[in-house]
Amino acid sequence: MKLLQLSSADLRAHLHGPGIWLRTGPFSLRVQSRVESVAEGLTELYGQFEVRSASESFADFHIALNPPSHLRRWFRPQVNFSFDGVEPFKPLPLDQAYPMLEWGLNWCISSHAHHYLIIHAAVVEKNGLAAILPAPPGSGKSTLTAGLVLSGWRLLSDELTLIDRKTGLIHALPRPVSLKNESIPLIRAFSPSVFINRASHDTAKGTVAHMRPPKESVRRQHEAARPGWVIFPKWTAGATTVMEPRSKAQTFMFLAQNAFNYSHLGAEGFRVGTQLIEQAACYDFQYSRLEEAIAAFDRLAAASPTEKVES
Amino acid sequence: MARFQIKIFGSEAVVFDTDSGDTHYLPPLALALLQTYREHSRPSHDDILRVLTERLVFEPGLPPKAQVNQTLDELRKLELIGRQ
Repeated sequence: MKLLQLSSADLRAHLHGPGIWLRTGPFSLRVQSRVESVAEGLTELYGQFEVRSASESFADFHIALNPPSHLRRWFRPQVNFSFDGVEPFKPLPLDQAYPMLEWGLNWCISSHAHHYLIIHAAVVEKNGLAAILPAPPGSGKSTLTAGLVLSGWRLLSDELTLIDRKTGLIHALPRPVSLKNESIPLIRAFSPSVFINRASHDTAKGTVAHMRPPKESVRRQHEAARPGWVIFPKWTAGATTVMEPRSKAQTFMFLAQNAFNYSHLGAEGFRVGTQLIEQAACYDFQYSRLEEAIAAFDRLAAASPTEKVES
Repeated sequence: MARFQIKIFGSEAVVFDTDSGDTHYLPPLALALLQTYREHSRPSHDDILRVLTERLVFEPGLPPKAQVNQTLDELRKLELIGRQ
Protein backbone atom coordinates (compact mmCIF):
# COMPACT_ATOMS: atom_id res chain seq x y z
CA MET A 1 0.00 0.00 0.00
CA LYS A 2 1.19 3.52 -0.80
CA LEU A 3 1.18 6.27 1.77
CA LEU A 4 -1.18 8.38 -0.36
CA GLN A 5 -3.80 5.64 -0.02
CA LEU A 6 -3.99 6.20 3.74
CA SER A 7 -6.57 8.70 4.89
CA SER A 8 -5.31 11.74 6.71
CA ALA A 9 -6.96 10.48 9.91
CA ASP A 10 -5.41 7.00 9.58
CA LEU A 11 -1.93 8.41 8.92
CA ARG A 12 -2.13 10.61 12.00
CA ALA A 13 -3.53 7.78 14.10
CA HIS A 14 -0.54 5.62 13.13
CA LEU A 15 1.96 8.44 13.66
CA HIS A 16 0.53 9.31 17.08
CA GLY A 17 0.39 5.66 18.10
CA PRO A 18 2.73 2.81 17.10
CA GLY A 19 4.18 4.74 14.15
CA ILE A 20 4.07 4.25 10.41
CA TRP A 21 6.33 1.76 8.59
CA LEU A 22 7.84 3.23 5.46
CA ARG A 23 10.27 1.87 2.86
CA THR A 24 12.83 4.11 1.20
CA GLY A 25 15.32 2.44 -1.12
CA PRO A 26 16.93 -0.51 0.67
CA PHE A 27 15.86 0.71 4.13
CA SER A 28 12.70 0.50 6.14
CA LEU A 29 11.86 2.87 8.95
CA ARG A 30 9.23 3.29 11.59
CA VAL A 31 8.30 6.90 12.20
CA GLN A 32 6.32 8.00 15.23
CA SER A 33 5.38 11.65 15.73
CA ARG A 34 2.77 13.90 17.30
CA VAL A 35 4.06 16.91 15.32
CA GLU A 36 1.60 18.08 12.68
CA SER A 37 4.29 19.31 10.24
CA VAL A 38 5.80 15.80 10.16
CA ALA A 39 2.44 14.29 9.15
CA GLU A 40 2.03 17.09 6.62
CA GLY A 41 5.53 16.59 5.18
CA LEU A 42 5.11 12.83 4.87
CA THR A 43 1.73 13.28 3.15
CA GLU A 44 3.08 15.82 0.69
CA LEU A 45 6.43 14.23 -0.09
CA TYR A 46 6.20 10.47 0.54
CA GLY A 47 2.83 9.73 -1.09
CA GLN A 48 4.31 7.23 -3.57
CA PHE A 49 6.23 5.26 -0.94
CA GLU A 50 5.20 1.87 0.39
CA VAL A 51 3.74 1.85 3.91
CA ARG A 52 2.67 -0.93 6.25
CA SER A 53 1.42 -1.31 9.75
CA ALA A 54 4.38 -0.62 12.01
CA SER A 55 3.39 -3.36 14.45
CA GLU A 56 3.57 -6.07 11.76
CA SER A 57 6.84 -5.26 9.99
CA PHE A 58 10.53 -5.18 10.85
CA ALA A 59 12.14 -1.75 10.48
CA ASP A 60 15.84 -0.90 10.17
CA PHE A 61 15.42 2.44 11.93
CA HIS A 62 12.95 3.39 14.64
CA ILE A 63 12.56 7.16 14.61
CA ALA A 64 10.43 9.52 16.66
CA LEU A 65 10.00 13.29 16.44
CA ASN A 66 8.15 14.81 19.36
CA PRO A 67 8.16 17.97 21.45
CA PRO A 68 10.14 17.77 24.71
CA SER A 69 7.91 16.98 27.65
CA HIS A 70 8.90 19.99 29.78
CA LEU A 71 7.76 23.64 29.66
CA ARG A 72 9.55 24.30 26.36
CA ARG A 73 6.55 22.82 24.61
CA TRP A 74 4.76 26.09 25.41
CA PHE A 75 7.60 28.62 25.31
CA ARG A 76 9.43 28.66 21.96
CA PRO A 77 8.32 25.10 21.19
CA GLN A 78 10.93 22.62 20.08
CA VAL A 79 11.19 19.15 18.61
CA ASN A 80 13.43 16.23 19.56
CA PHE A 81 14.67 13.54 17.20
CA SER A 82 15.09 10.11 18.71
CA PHE A 83 16.56 6.96 17.21
CA ASP A 84 15.91 3.68 19.02
CA GLY A 85 14.95 5.77 22.05
CA VAL A 86 18.21 7.76 22.08
CA GLU A 87 18.32 11.49 21.26
CA PRO A 88 21.57 12.05 19.33
CA PHE A 89 20.95 15.76 18.61
CA LYS A 90 19.97 18.87 20.49
CA PRO A 91 16.31 19.84 19.97
CA LEU A 92 15.44 22.24 17.16
CA PRO A 93 12.65 24.80 16.85
CA LEU A 94 9.34 23.07 16.15
CA ASP A 95 9.18 24.77 12.74
CA GLN A 96 12.18 22.64 11.70
CA ALA A 97 10.58 19.28 12.57
CA TYR A 98 10.26 18.09 8.98
CA PRO A 99 13.84 18.98 7.92
CA MET A 100 14.98 17.37 11.16
CA LEU A 101 13.31 14.11 10.08
CA GLU A 102 15.27 14.18 6.81
CA TRP A 103 18.58 15.16 8.47
CA GLY A 104 18.09 12.60 11.20
CA LEU A 105 17.36 9.87 8.69
CA ASN A 106 20.53 10.79 6.77
CA TRP A 107 22.43 10.43 10.03
CA CYS A 108 20.84 7.03 10.80
CA ILE A 109 21.80 5.67 7.38
CA SER A 110 25.28 7.18 7.18
CA SER A 111 26.27 6.03 10.65
CA HIS A 112 24.81 2.51 10.52
CA ALA A 113 24.56 1.13 6.96
CA HIS A 114 28.13 -0.10 6.69
CA HIS A 115 27.32 -2.72 4.09
CA TYR A 116 27.66 0.26 1.75
CA LEU A 117 30.50 2.67 1.21
CA ILE A 118 28.54 5.90 1.72
CA ILE A 119 29.74 9.08 0.07
CA HIS A 120 28.35 12.52 0.79
CA ALA A 121 27.22 13.22 -2.76
CA ALA A 122 24.11 13.46 -4.89
CA VAL A 123 23.65 10.77 -7.51
CA VAL A 124 21.44 10.62 -10.59
CA GLU A 125 21.10 8.04 -13.35
CA LYS A 126 20.44 7.82 -17.07
CA ASN A 127 20.64 4.77 -19.35
CA GLY A 128 21.79 2.62 -16.42
CA LEU A 129 24.81 4.77 -15.59
CA ALA A 130 25.08 6.85 -12.43
CA ALA A 131 26.54 10.34 -12.24
CA ILE A 132 27.90 11.02 -8.76
CA LEU A 133 27.95 14.71 -7.81
CA PRO A 134 30.16 15.34 -4.80
CA ALA A 135 30.65 18.97 -3.93
CA PRO A 136 31.01 21.30 -0.99
CA PRO A 137 27.99 23.39 0.13
CA GLY A 138 27.28 26.34 -2.14
CA SER A 139 28.43 24.57 -5.29
CA GLY A 140 24.91 24.27 -6.68
CA LYS A 141 24.79 20.48 -6.24
CA SER A 142 21.18 20.30 -5.02
CA THR A 143 19.93 22.77 -7.62
CA LEU A 144 21.61 20.82 -10.39
CA THR A 145 20.30 17.53 -9.00
CA ALA A 146 16.75 18.90 -8.88
CA GLY A 147 17.07 20.28 -12.41
CA LEU A 148 18.37 16.96 -13.74
CA VAL A 149 15.67 14.83 -12.14
CA LEU A 150 13.01 17.21 -13.46
CA SER A 151 14.51 16.72 -16.94
CA GLY A 152 14.52 12.96 -17.37
CA TRP A 153 17.37 11.81 -15.12
CA ARG A 154 16.45 9.36 -12.36
CA LEU A 155 17.01 10.45 -8.78
CA LEU A 156 19.09 7.96 -6.82
CA SER A 157 19.80 10.35 -3.94
CA ASP A 158 20.38 14.05 -3.36
CA GLU A 159 22.67 13.46 -0.38
CA LEU A 160 23.95 9.89 0.11
CA THR A 161 25.65 7.80 -2.56
CA LEU A 162 25.30 4.16 -1.48
CA ILE A 163 27.92 1.90 -3.08
CA ASP A 164 27.25 -1.80 -2.59
CA ARG A 165 30.46 -3.33 -1.24
CA LYS A 166 29.81 -6.69 -2.93
CA THR A 167 28.76 -5.57 -6.40
CA GLY A 168 30.08 -2.01 -6.70
CA LEU A 169 26.62 -0.97 -7.90
CA ILE A 170 24.98 2.21 -6.65
CA HIS A 171 21.70 1.73 -4.84
CA ALA A 172 18.85 4.22 -5.00
CA LEU A 173 17.51 6.17 -2.06
CA PRO A 174 15.14 8.56 -3.83
CA ARG A 175 13.92 10.69 -0.94
CA PRO A 176 12.82 14.34 -1.16
CA VAL A 177 15.46 16.70 -2.55
CA SER A 178 16.62 19.30 -0.05
CA LEU A 179 16.66 22.80 -1.55
CA LYS A 180 18.19 25.78 0.17
CA ASN A 181 17.77 29.54 -0.06
CA GLU A 182 17.90 30.86 -3.67
CA SER A 183 17.54 27.41 -5.18
CA ILE A 184 13.92 27.19 -3.92
CA PRO A 185 12.49 29.95 -6.18
CA LEU A 186 14.92 28.95 -8.93
CA ILE A 187 13.55 25.40 -9.10
CA ARG A 188 9.95 26.66 -8.80
CA ALA A 189 10.61 28.89 -11.84
CA PHE A 190 12.40 26.09 -13.71
CA SER A 191 9.47 23.70 -13.28
CA PRO A 192 6.25 25.44 -12.14
CA SER A 193 4.42 22.10 -11.71
CA VAL A 194 6.97 20.73 -9.23
CA PHE A 195 5.85 20.28 -5.62
CA ILE A 196 8.08 21.91 -3.01
CA ASN A 197 6.85 21.87 0.56
CA ARG A 198 6.57 24.74 3.03
CA ALA A 199 9.98 26.26 3.77
CA SER A 200 11.59 26.18 7.22
CA HIS A 201 13.45 29.39 7.95
CA ASP A 202 16.52 30.18 10.07
CA THR A 203 17.83 26.63 10.06
CA ALA A 204 21.57 25.92 10.31
CA LYS A 205 21.51 25.80 6.49
CA GLY A 206 19.36 28.91 6.02
CA THR A 207 15.90 28.53 4.50
CA VAL A 208 15.23 24.89 3.61
CA ALA A 209 12.41 23.22 1.68
CA HIS A 210 12.04 19.78 0.14
CA MET A 211 11.08 18.85 -3.40
CA ARG A 212 8.89 15.79 -3.92
CA PRO A 213 10.90 13.03 -5.65
CA PRO A 214 9.67 12.15 -9.16
CA LYS A 215 7.16 9.29 -9.19
CA GLU A 216 9.27 7.31 -11.67
CA SER A 217 12.34 7.53 -9.43
CA VAL A 218 10.34 6.18 -6.49
CA ARG A 219 8.84 3.41 -8.65
CA ARG A 220 12.36 2.30 -9.68
CA GLN A 221 13.89 2.68 -6.23
CA HIS A 222 15.03 -0.96 -6.13
CA GLU A 223 16.94 -0.64 -9.41
CA ALA A 224 20.69 -0.18 -8.94
CA ALA A 225 23.03 1.57 -11.40
CA ARG A 226 26.63 1.19 -12.50
CA PRO A 227 29.02 4.05 -11.75
CA GLY A 228 29.40 6.12 -14.92
CA TRP A 229 30.80 9.48 -13.93
CA VAL A 230 32.03 11.46 -10.95
CA ILE A 231 31.32 15.11 -11.69
CA PHE A 232 32.22 18.04 -9.43
CA PRO A 233 29.71 20.80 -10.17
CA LYS A 234 30.50 24.40 -9.42
CA TRP A 235 27.95 27.12 -9.98
CA THR A 236 29.59 30.46 -10.81
CA ALA A 237 27.55 33.54 -11.74
CA GLY A 238 27.92 34.34 -15.43
CA ALA A 239 30.27 31.42 -16.13
CA THR A 240 30.18 29.52 -19.39
CA THR A 241 29.38 25.81 -19.21
CA VAL A 242 32.63 23.83 -19.16
CA MET A 243 33.20 20.16 -18.41
CA GLU A 244 36.86 19.14 -18.11
CA PRO A 245 38.47 15.83 -17.18
CA ARG A 246 40.03 15.72 -13.73
CA SER A 247 42.58 13.47 -12.03
CA LYS A 248 41.17 10.11 -10.98
CA ALA A 249 43.61 9.79 -8.07
CA GLN A 250 42.66 13.21 -6.72
CA THR A 251 38.98 12.43 -7.22
CA PHE A 252 39.44 9.28 -5.16
CA MET A 253 41.09 11.29 -2.37
CA PHE A 254 38.18 13.73 -2.30
CA LEU A 255 35.62 10.92 -2.17
CA ALA A 256 37.54 9.16 0.60
CA GLN A 257 37.57 12.37 2.65
CA ASN A 258 33.87 12.90 2.01
CA ALA A 259 32.73 9.35 2.68
CA PHE A 260 30.90 8.84 5.95
CA ASN A 261 32.37 5.43 6.66
CA TYR A 262 35.63 5.18 4.67
CA SER A 263 37.74 5.09 7.83
CA HIS A 264 35.38 2.60 9.43
CA LEU A 265 35.71 0.23 6.45
CA GLY A 266 39.52 0.50 6.22
CA ALA A 267 41.10 -1.52 3.38
CA GLU A 268 37.64 -2.56 2.19
CA GLY A 269 36.68 1.10 1.74
CA PHE A 270 39.87 1.60 -0.29
CA ARG A 271 39.04 -1.39 -2.49
CA VAL A 272 35.43 -0.33 -3.11
CA GLY A 273 36.35 3.32 -3.69
CA THR A 274 39.19 2.62 -6.13
CA GLN A 275 37.02 0.13 -8.01
CA LEU A 276 34.38 2.85 -8.37
CA ILE A 277 36.88 5.39 -9.68
CA GLU A 278 38.30 2.86 -12.11
CA GLN A 279 34.88 2.50 -13.74
CA ALA A 280 33.95 6.18 -13.75
CA ALA A 281 35.01 9.10 -15.91
CA CYS A 282 35.87 12.08 -13.68
CA TYR A 283 35.13 15.71 -14.51
CA ASP A 284 35.12 19.23 -13.13
CA PHE A 285 31.99 21.02 -14.23
CA GLN A 286 31.41 24.75 -14.17
CA TYR A 287 28.05 26.27 -15.01
CA SER A 288 25.77 29.23 -14.46
CA ARG A 289 22.66 28.36 -16.48
CA LEU A 290 20.72 25.28 -15.36
CA GLU A 291 19.35 24.53 -18.85
CA GLU A 292 22.87 24.48 -20.31
CA ALA A 293 24.09 22.29 -17.47
CA ILE A 294 21.34 19.74 -18.13
CA ALA A 295 22.13 19.76 -21.85
CA ALA A 296 25.79 19.04 -21.05
CA PHE A 297 24.78 16.07 -18.88
CA ASP A 298 22.45 14.81 -21.61
CA ARG A 299 25.30 14.92 -24.13
CA LEU A 300 27.46 12.93 -21.75
CA ALA A 301 24.75 10.28 -21.32
CA ALA A 302 24.06 10.15 -25.06
CA ALA A 303 27.73 9.44 -25.74
CA SER A 304 27.78 6.42 -23.40
CA PRO A 305 26.36 2.99 -24.18
CA THR A 306 23.19 2.03 -22.31
CA GLU A 307 23.85 -0.25 -19.33
CA LYS A 308 21.44 -2.89 -18.12
CA VAL A 309 21.69 -3.70 -14.44
CA GLU A 310 19.94 -6.61 -12.77
CA SER A 311 18.58 -5.46 -9.42
CA MET B 1 47.94 -8.92 3.42
CA ALA B 2 50.66 -6.51 2.30
CA ARG B 3 50.97 -3.39 4.43
CA PHE B 4 50.48 -1.03 1.46
CA GLN B 5 47.72 -1.32 -1.09
CA ILE B 6 48.43 0.74 -4.16
CA LYS B 7 46.08 1.69 -6.96
CA ILE B 8 47.61 3.39 -9.98
CA PHE B 9 45.54 5.78 -12.08
CA GLY B 10 47.62 6.80 -15.11
CA SER B 11 50.68 8.68 -13.87
CA GLU B 12 49.31 9.09 -10.30
CA ALA B 13 48.40 6.67 -7.54
CA VAL B 14 46.67 6.34 -4.20
CA VAL B 15 48.05 4.22 -1.38
CA PHE B 16 46.30 2.72 1.62
CA ASP B 17 48.48 1.96 4.65
CA THR B 18 46.83 -0.97 6.45
CA ASP B 19 48.92 -0.29 9.58
CA SER B 20 47.85 3.31 10.11
CA GLY B 21 44.57 3.33 8.15
CA ASP B 22 45.83 6.42 6.31
CA THR B 23 45.38 7.02 2.60
CA HIS B 24 47.96 8.95 0.58
CA TYR B 25 47.97 10.54 -2.84
CA LEU B 26 51.09 10.00 -4.93
CA PRO B 27 51.67 12.62 -7.63
CA PRO B 28 53.55 11.58 -10.80
CA LEU B 29 57.05 12.13 -9.40
CA ALA B 30 56.35 10.15 -6.22
CA LEU B 31 54.84 7.27 -8.18
CA ALA B 32 57.72 7.24 -10.66
CA LEU B 33 60.23 7.20 -7.78
CA LEU B 34 58.38 4.41 -6.02
CA GLN B 35 58.30 2.37 -9.21
CA THR B 36 62.01 3.00 -9.79
CA TYR B 37 62.78 1.73 -6.28
CA ARG B 38 60.68 -1.35 -6.91
CA GLU B 39 62.34 -2.05 -10.27
CA HIS B 40 65.92 -1.48 -9.03
CA SER B 41 66.64 -2.73 -5.53
CA ARG B 42 69.21 -0.02 -4.67
CA PRO B 43 69.19 2.60 -7.42
CA SER B 44 71.95 5.20 -7.44
CA HIS B 45 71.02 8.87 -7.52
CA ASP B 46 72.16 9.03 -11.15
CA ASP B 47 70.02 6.01 -12.05
CA ILE B 48 67.03 7.71 -10.48
CA LEU B 49 67.57 11.02 -12.27
CA ARG B 50 68.08 9.25 -15.60
CA VAL B 51 64.90 7.18 -15.27
CA LEU B 52 62.81 10.10 -14.07
CA THR B 53 64.11 12.45 -16.76
CA GLU B 54 63.02 9.87 -19.33
CA ARG B 55 59.57 9.80 -17.77
CA LEU B 56 59.29 13.62 -17.75
CA VAL B 57 57.78 13.80 -14.29
CA PHE B 58 59.44 16.95 -12.99
CA GLU B 59 57.42 20.03 -12.09
CA PRO B 60 58.65 23.52 -13.00
CA GLY B 61 60.29 25.27 -10.06
CA LEU B 62 62.80 23.37 -7.93
CA PRO B 63 65.76 21.74 -9.75
CA PRO B 64 65.12 18.03 -10.52
CA LYS B 65 67.65 16.84 -7.92
CA ALA B 66 65.96 18.85 -5.17
CA GLN B 67 62.54 17.59 -6.24
CA VAL B 68 63.82 14.02 -6.09
CA ASN B 69 65.34 14.49 -2.64
CA GLN B 70 62.23 16.14 -1.26
CA THR B 71 59.95 13.43 -2.65
CA LEU B 72 62.25 10.64 -1.44
CA ASP B 73 62.06 12.13 2.06
CA GLU B 74 58.27 12.09 1.88
CA LEU B 75 58.20 8.48 0.67
CA ARG B 76 60.56 7.47 3.49
CA LYS B 77 58.38 9.25 6.05
CA LEU B 78 55.41 7.23 4.79
CA GLU B 79 57.67 4.13 4.94
CA LEU B 80 56.86 3.38 1.31
CA ILE B 81 60.63 3.05 0.73
CA GLY B 82 63.26 2.08 3.30
CA ARG B 83 65.65 4.50 4.98
CA GLN B 84 69.21 4.51 3.60
